[in-house]
Amino acid sequence: MPTEPLLTAESLHLSFGATTALDSASVQVHAGEILALMGPSGSGKSTLLHCLAGILHPDLGRVTYAGRDLTAMHDDERSALRRTEFGFVFQFGQLVPELTCLENVALPLRLGGAPRRAALRSAAAWLERLEVSDVAGKRPGQASGGQGQRVAVARALVTRPRVVFADEPTGALDTLNGERVMQLFVAAARETGAAVVLVTHEPRVAAYSDHEAVVRDGRVRAREHVR
Amino acid sequence: MRRISELALGIRLSVGGGRSGWVRLALIAVGVGLGVTMLLVAASIPTVLDARTERADARSVTWDQQLTPGEPTMLTQEVKSSFRDAPVVGLLLQPEHDDAPLPPGVPRQLEPGDLVVSPALGDLLASDNGAALRDRWGDRVVGTIGDEGLTGPDELRFYLGTDQLTAGSEYVDRIQSFGGADGSSAGLGPVLLLLALVGMVVLLLPVAIFISTAVRFGSENRDRRLAALRLVGADVGMTRRIAAGETLAGAAGGLAVGTLLFLAIGRLAAYAVPAELSFYPEDLRPAPVLAALTVVLVPATTVLVTLSALKQVLVEPLGVVRRGSERRRRFWWRLVVPVVGLALLTPLIDGLDTSPGSQVMVVAGLILVLVGVALILPWLVEATVHRLNGCSVAWDLAVRRLQLDSGTAVRSVSGIAVSVAGLIAMQGLVATIGELSPWSQADTSTFQATVLDIDPEADSAETWERELSRAEGVTRVGLLTSMWARPTPATAGQPASSDETLIDIGTCEVLAQEAQLDSCDDGDAFVVAPDGTTTPASGSVYLLGTGQDTRWTLPASAEVVGPAPGTVGSMGGMSARIMVTPGALGGIDVEPEGMTVYVALDPAVLDAADHMRTAAAQVDPAAYESPIAPERTTLILGNVQSALLVGTVALLVLIGASMLVNVIEQLRERRQLLAVLVAFGTRRRTLGASVLFQVAIPVVLGLAIAVVTGSVLALALQAAVDAPLAFDWLTVGVTSGAAALMVLLTTAAGLPLLWHLTRPGGLRSE
Repeated sequence: MPTEPLLTAESLHLSFGATTALDSASVQVHAGEILALMGPSGSGKSTLLHCLAGILHPDLGRVTYAGRDLTAMHDDERSALRRTEFGFVFQFGQLVPELTCLENVALPLRLGGAPRRAALRSAAAWLERLEVSDVAGKRPGQASGGQGQRVAVARALVTRPRVVFADEPTGALDTLNGERVMQLFVAAARETGAAVVLVTHEPRVAAYSDHEAVVRDGRVRAREHVR
Repeated sequence: MRRISELALGIRLSVGGGRSGWVRLALIAVGVGLGVTMLLVAASIPTVLDARTERADARSVTWDQQLTPGEPTMLTQEVKSSFRDAPVVGLLLQPEHDDAPLPPGVPRQLEPGDLVVSPALGDLLASDNGAALRDRWGDRVVGTIGDEGLTGPDELRFYLGTDQLTAGSEYVDRIQSFGGADGSSAGLGPVLLLLALVGMVVLLLPVAIFISTAVRFGSENRDRRLAALRLVGADVGMTRRIAAGETLAGAAGGLAVGTLLFLAIGRLAAYAVPAELSFYPEDLRPAPVLAALTVVLVPATTVLVTLSALKQVLVEPLGVVRRGSERRRRFWWRLVVPVVGLALLTPLIDGLDTSPGSQVMVVAGLILVLVGVALILPWLVEATVHRLNGCSVAWDLAVRRLQLDSGTAVRSVSGIAVSVAGLIAMQGLVATIGELSPWSQADTSTFQATVLDIDPEADSAETWERELSRAEGVTRVGLLTSMWARPTPATAGQPASSDETLIDIGTCEVLAQEAQLDSCDDGDAFVVAPDGTTTPASGSVYLLGTGQDTRWTLPASAEVVGPAPGTVGSMGGMSARIMVTPGALGGIDVEPEGMTVYVALDPAVLDAADHMRTAAAQVDPAAYESPIAPERTTLILGNVQSALLVGTVALLVLIGASMLVNVIEQLRERRQLLAVLVAFGTRRRTLGASVLFQVAIPVVLGLAIAVVTGSVLALALQAAVDAPLAFDWLTVGVTSGAAALMVLLTTAAGLPLLWHLTRPGGLRSE
């Protein structure tokens, strides 16, 4: 494991009105590492993930990615990072319902300026890899929950990002489907060398990670080696 | 290239989404399309008017005194008649040479008695309806006027060959060619012009509002979609371009739908307008500049509306945040717009000036006042719902929802409010306009029509009396013979006066049509003196014929009276005239220069007036018949009113559709909340009532502001045309009732979805 972390959060503070979501939270993610952020509901783990991804701006503290200060970046720069270096898998997939599954997967590539045909070809390969080629021409609403999440994983990995942020990726799935999604997700991520920041409250899901960090009351209380 | 790709992605998103996506796109396309249709129709009006003018000019007749009979010339005389309320215009043609000119659409020279008619007149003559018109100008119809000789397909026009015209007569023209300036294509009068301006504004402004509402259909879904795009890396600029692309797809669809509707409706409109305004469908072409403006501005406007709507929300990767929900709407700047509008309308109080500058002011004023309705309404709704107190659960749910976000509901209602305000203004003007016509005050209790013989002969009086009395539906005939006479010197050698005086001779019954007579017996003479005119001196001697024995002296007993209401004399500009009963002439054999035949008609006889006109034309095709109290202006106003009502109903239907879409969207968005409410035990009836209140509160407020604004505008317009100021309760009631009905229908149409969302099966999935 390289000594220099890829992604670092230092003493993040973030409040929503009178509610403190993060209170001096710090964490590091190394390239290729799978880090699970665990904790009870309302502990601040999702907020921490959103800050790490540059989606939320902390009130205090700093997030650096590959030596660049995310918190100082303009929105357009952070959008470009999300397009090219980051991938996302959320509980409900966040797929665009108007596009087919294939088009959804190709979307980050097309937003990055890739030609349509090349983007679709690449997307088709990822759908095949995640064993959901059969829903390529369907819209997300026509696919099952498990298939939808696998499409979301394919979309997160299609740009070969350096970090994938996953917020309860199996939260809306039954156990069997959840396991299958995690197996495919982790395998694909490891194959591409992407780091994964995984928010979950299920130990079963956290077991797929290399390290676990427990978040409680907006702080990262402990970081453990899993495997 | 990348930007184009983002626009293309937006277009792709707009056509995706399955059935609901297509429904949304179709609604936008239909909404924008209807707006485009109305804009294209408005853009075609100049072309239609130009084409009509060109066609009218091509057949116009211009008198040329230089022409002599040896040249290829033609004598012509215009004949103006009518059938029921529709004007029928013709031209008597008397060629003086084999190569005499032919009017457009007439292929050959006409023999005396030959009749060539427009297709519409031909159809009318051939139909049962046209029985009273048949034989008016003879029965030898030898052809049909071609399209190039008519201003529109419904025009009632004819050419009649004759050999009775006399060169040099005041009403006969000698021509060598048809064409040239045409006085008949004069512009609209001030009243109709004002109505046309108001009508355009009233119809087009809600269209603009509707277009802006239509492009927001499904905006909540779109915002969520954009958030998903932000998550995968779209920046703010990209999301705007993608949203613009989505809107452009709807706008492009709207342009296509609008163009198709325009092509279809244009054909119908050509036949739906009154005969005198009819035009050929091929003449309905938008003016190129205006069409180009429509094609460019509609999509541009829709994109601007979308981008402006996006400014109200913050699209973030985690979702959409509405901006400024806590910021209260300010009143003062919203009030500035209608106040400026009213200021621009202030000159109307002194009457309408038809100069272009004044027209621009009036249009700008009307637009600003009506836009003011759309601006003040959001403030009014917000201010009102924040003051509303709790009542029933349904009321609370509706009020709280409106307190949270009244913008969506208000947007649809603005269209209704502007439309109703404009309609009330228009109707208010139209309802009182009938009072405007000075002719409407004429006494029609004795006689209802007149026939004017401009070139009577010695036996004309007997002929008119005999022939008109025979006509079906004519119950009585009265004659007024007229001549101009100068007072002659009482003694030889004195200079004659240069002032001619009109002298009318008729029975008391006939004279009472022209003057206010308190009492009248045969043997009486009167001087009819409009205000401010000089009366002829009693004792003045007039020559009523060519012989010395036609000298007649105005007796000192001649009473000075005022002109009867609704007569030319009562309208100013006429000098004093003398009216004489036959008994006062002392047996003088007068030589009349004009003759007016007063005709009493039996109202129970169908088309009595037309039977009379036919009888009159058979005596003299050039005789001019007219009702004593013509209703021409009010008829045109009636057409304007009908068109406006149809337009407003169409707009109300559209706005109702957009409100329904809003209701359905809101129900879908709030299905979780609905599920919770039903789980609590809330009755469906309560939820239904809450939907009703939610729709009704903004509509009631919108109608209130529309009634106030519309009534103020109506009063301003009534003042502009010097009509009596009156409040048109009927219009207010009818339009408000129609809008209320629309609210109920909209709510009712949304209820099936509400029931569907709140059924037990639906609740489990939530």
